[in-house]
Amino acid sequence: MNDSLLPNETVRSRRPMRFLAFGVAIAVVVGALTTRLVFLQIQQAPRFEALAQANMTASVSVPSTRGIVYDRSGHALVQNIPTWSVKIRPADLPYPQRDAVVARLADLLGMKSTDINARIEANPGSRFDLVRIKSDVDESTARLIAEEGLKLPGVEVTAESRRDYIYGPLFSQVIGYTGAIGAPQLADLEAKGYLPDDPIGQAGVESSYETALRGVYGQQQVERDATGRVIRVLQTTSVPQPGQSLVLSIDVKEQQYAQQALEWGLKTAGVQRGVFAVMNPQTGEILALVSLPTYDANDFARGITDAQMRAYLSNKDTPFLDHAIAEQYPPGSTYKLVTGTGALQDKKLTPTTEVLSKPFVQIGPDKYWEWNRAGWGPLTITEGFGRSSDTFFYQVSAMLGIERLAYWAKEFGFGALTGIDLPGEVAGLVPSNQWKQDTFGQAIFPGETLQAGIGQGFDVSTPLQVLNAYAALANGGKLYQPQVVREIKAADGTVVRAFTPHLIRKLPVSAANLVTMRLAARRVATIRHTYNVVDMPIIVMGKTGTAEYGVKDAQGRLPYHNWYVGFVSKSGDVRKPDSQLAFVSFVYGADTVGNAATEIAKYYLQLHYGIKKDYRIPSLLVRGNFYGD
Amino acid sequence: MGVLRAEPARLGAATRAVGTAWRTYDWQLSVYALMLMTFGLVMAYSNSVHDGSSPLAMGTTFTRGVMWSGIAVVVFAAATAFDYKWLKTFAWPLYGLNLGLLVLSLAIGTGVGNSSRWITIPIIGMQFQFSELAKILMIIVLARFLSAREARLDSLSTILGAGLLMAPVVVLVMLQPDLGTALVLFAIVAGMLFMSGASIRWLAVLAAAAVAFVPVAWNFILHDYQKARLLSFLDPASDPQGSGYHLLQSQIAVGAGGLLGKGLTNGTQNQLDFLPVQTTDFVFAILAEELGFVGALVVFALFAALLWRVLASAWRSRDPFGTLFGAGLASLILFQLLVNVGMVIGIMPITGIPLPFITHGGASLITLALGLGILQSVNLRQTRAEW
Repeated sequence: MNDSLLPNETVRSRRPMRFLAFGVAIAVVVGALTTRLVFLQIQQAPRFEALAQANMTASVSVPSTRGIVYDRSGHALVQNIPTWSVKIRPADLPYPQRDAVVARLADLLGMKSTDINARIEANPGSRFDLVRIKSDVDESTARLIAEEGLKLPGVEVTAESRRDYIYGPLFSQVIGYTGAIGAPQLADLEAKGYLPDDPIGQAGVESSYETALRGVYGQQQVERDATGRVIRVLQTTSVPQPGQSLVLSIDVKEQQYAQQALEWGLKTAGVQRGVFAVMNPQTGEILALVSLPTYDANDFARGITDAQMRAYLSNKDTPFLDHAIAEQYPPGSTYKLVTGTGALQDKKLTPTTEVLSKPFVQIGPDKYWEWNRAGWGPLTITEGFGRSSDTFFYQVSAMLGIERLAYWAKEFGFGALTGIDLPGEVAGLVPSNQWKQDTFGQAIFPGETLQAGIGQGFDVSTPLQVLNAYAALANGGKLYQPQVVREIKAADGTVVRAFTPHLIRKLPVSAANLVTMRLAARRVATIRHTYNVVDMPIIVMGKTGTAEYGVKDAQGRLPYHNWYVGFVSKSGDVRKPDSQLAFVSFVYGADTVGNAATEIAKYYLQLHYGIKKDYRIPSLLVRGNFYGD
Repeated sequence: MGVLRAEPARLGAATRAVGTAWRTYDWQLSVYALMLMTFGLVMAYSNSVHDGSSPLAMGTTFTRGVMWSGIAVVVFAAATAFDYKWLKTFAWPLYGLNLGLLVLSLAIGTGVGNSSRWITIPIIGMQFQFSELAKILMIIVLARFLSAREARLDSLSTILGAGLLMAPVVVLVMLQPDLGTALVLFAIVAGMLFMSGASIRWLAVLAAAAVAFVPVAWNFILHDYQKARLLSFLDPASDPQGSGYHLLQSQIAVGAGGLLGKGLTNGTQNQLDFLPVQTTDFVFAILAEELGFVGALVVFALFAALLWRVLASAWRSRDPFGTLFGAGLASLILFQLLVNVGMVIGIMPITGIPLPFITHGGASLITLALGLGILQSVNLRQTRAEW
């Protein structure tokens, strides 16, 4: 039976050569593995050692203290206050537990689970980067979450500081706010040392002076595990350098006056949107800058809720936009400064040349009406400007032609950024033949030239451009770059950058012609085009504007904005370019019987100069229309 | 005829003095195996330290390893005492049992993701992977099959027969899915056929056919994650956070170990978790990191010595079953050594094959103890003069 156990057969079952081959196979396998180990562990050991080191050590940033923003007199407008925030590191949040953790966290934070999930999903960084879930969490909640740590894997509570904007909405348009870095920005910023959940200036000087305010983050070498959790600090490579502080050219009090005046005017006129800005024409320093409606930067600092965000975004008067610089409107009659100065300097007019004002100017079948539909007979530049005669300036525009008009507009700074140190500025538009050819494929029509001369038609500009143009008139022809930040100071108080005015250009206008235009601007007051401005105990020069826009109503009338731009003589001598104060007042869609912008400006000037008598005429702010019926 | 064809224990062998019998026991074999198992326990200790709890506490990798090692020693002793010739008698029922256990694994098994590899054994509450046991059971079945076909080893039918025996087992294992075990089974069949004296020509033809089958397997049999792991072996840097992560991190661990290693429990790749599954498939990376080139060489030397003793046992056996059983066991150990260490050091794709004795896992250790025990049983129960 068991043949296999017989000796003569068992010999066959062993194959010496095959045993030998198997032995060789063992030698080859062990030899190959050993060879590879020699390569990895002997030859390449230093390289892999370095890689292992790189695995476990990381350089992490140590945040610096963000710089403070002060007003002109040294009042702090922003402070850093300690706060708690709750963050999630997605890599540490196991997927099966995620729903439970998010639900519990939502409960503790009073948020919706969907909002938390949305934040995790919107995380611009990697799974190992912290995602901010909620900022400004109160201490008891923070403590509660920290204590539940084991039940909330991946959730971290961190102590940090946040911005507190002391004056709330008053300075929001100037200072702006800090916010989370958006995914598209992240790649660039990471190269500059930003962390994915770092705050970064998102508006105002927080944005335009981000680098100075941020300071320089320190660096630490830390040991970490595979999930990125820091085990211990190995060494501090560099100490964080606190950010520099900004001193604004704006004074809290001036800003409050401007806001008070604008709020009163808008409320009385029953509208929402307007601008009041004040500048020192001798330097370009902004002394007040108010744009309404606005927002409260603290909403962002505390972590804006979706409901707040929706409310802001659904407001048709765009509270996030600084209407003084980020929106452009037809400048209306304020633009007659350009037309008048250009005509004088191009010698189309002399101060005594008379042009006949009349009910309308006709080009072909089209009638271009005087605003009072009558005219005043022959007028000089001073009278034409003073009465804001449209037919006078139609004819002067035609003398200049569109190209010279565009040239002078650009000299006054229209159609170009003023270069103010705030983000979001727009350039406005100065129409020219070339521009219209490029845009519409045809030349400017003669009628369009007439409209361009009175700041209608294609003309659009920002309130700041209008202000800056009149500041140049006030100071004798120097166009300055407006600035809101006066000085930059180091954390220890030393001045890093002192204030220097930035001259954009000296206007190619003779002093005599500028005197003529200042006299014309004064004539606006003395002729009582601005009602009782002339009665005030200060010498105000300026120009009103009623700028039509939009779509005609049933009676064929257009809605309109109100402008009033001007400056106050320091010496009382209109001929001298010595004004220290220029202002622009703008009311969007005013549609009031009188000029709402002028009333606002009067109120501001009363507050600024401490004028006790009240010159305001609220009856002018009744909604109706300026056409008089 | 029939079931009781084998007639165990010829009188001469059965009545030999106990002292004589122990002279044929291979002490070296047992010592090398014990030393390798000790290496496994040392690495388990290091990993338990990393887990933060006391390594001696219940339920750590280390204490579980000690427990399994104890069981393995008992299994080894029992298998040595057991007369292996009964295995020949019960080869076919064992084959049935093997298929049954694998079907059971598929039915009630659990595992990572959707796999079903482990069965929790009632009462002791420990998990067991029957596909490990399947390797030894297949060696027994194949040794039985091939030793009965001594006269027809040259024919294609022997090779095909062995293949047919293997096929259902491979299919059940692939369904779990467990690519690694399936490959080990192939290696065992190939090694045993080769050592049995099967026709080299036909083996070559079949090997060529297997190579031709690779594209089919790639497109229709392998799962996406299996393909990704195989591909990442070719270029680990292509996806360092994904499937290439293990490969990169394990090579860093090995390379950072250098000549003498960082010392037990000092490996940063291990202790800071840069290398996941450091207790199982990638345990050799940690061994190389903490014990260095020297430690790794000692392990290789122990494997080489062990394999030499296994082959020596096979050579000495007068019973073709014993010879073939030894050949199968040697194939298993050599193949797993090559593929596991090769994977860790980046010369083999990731397939999830444990490193014998050292990878933490009860089933693998018990299976090896069983195999070596049977081999010692073969050593004890042969009449050939010592070689």
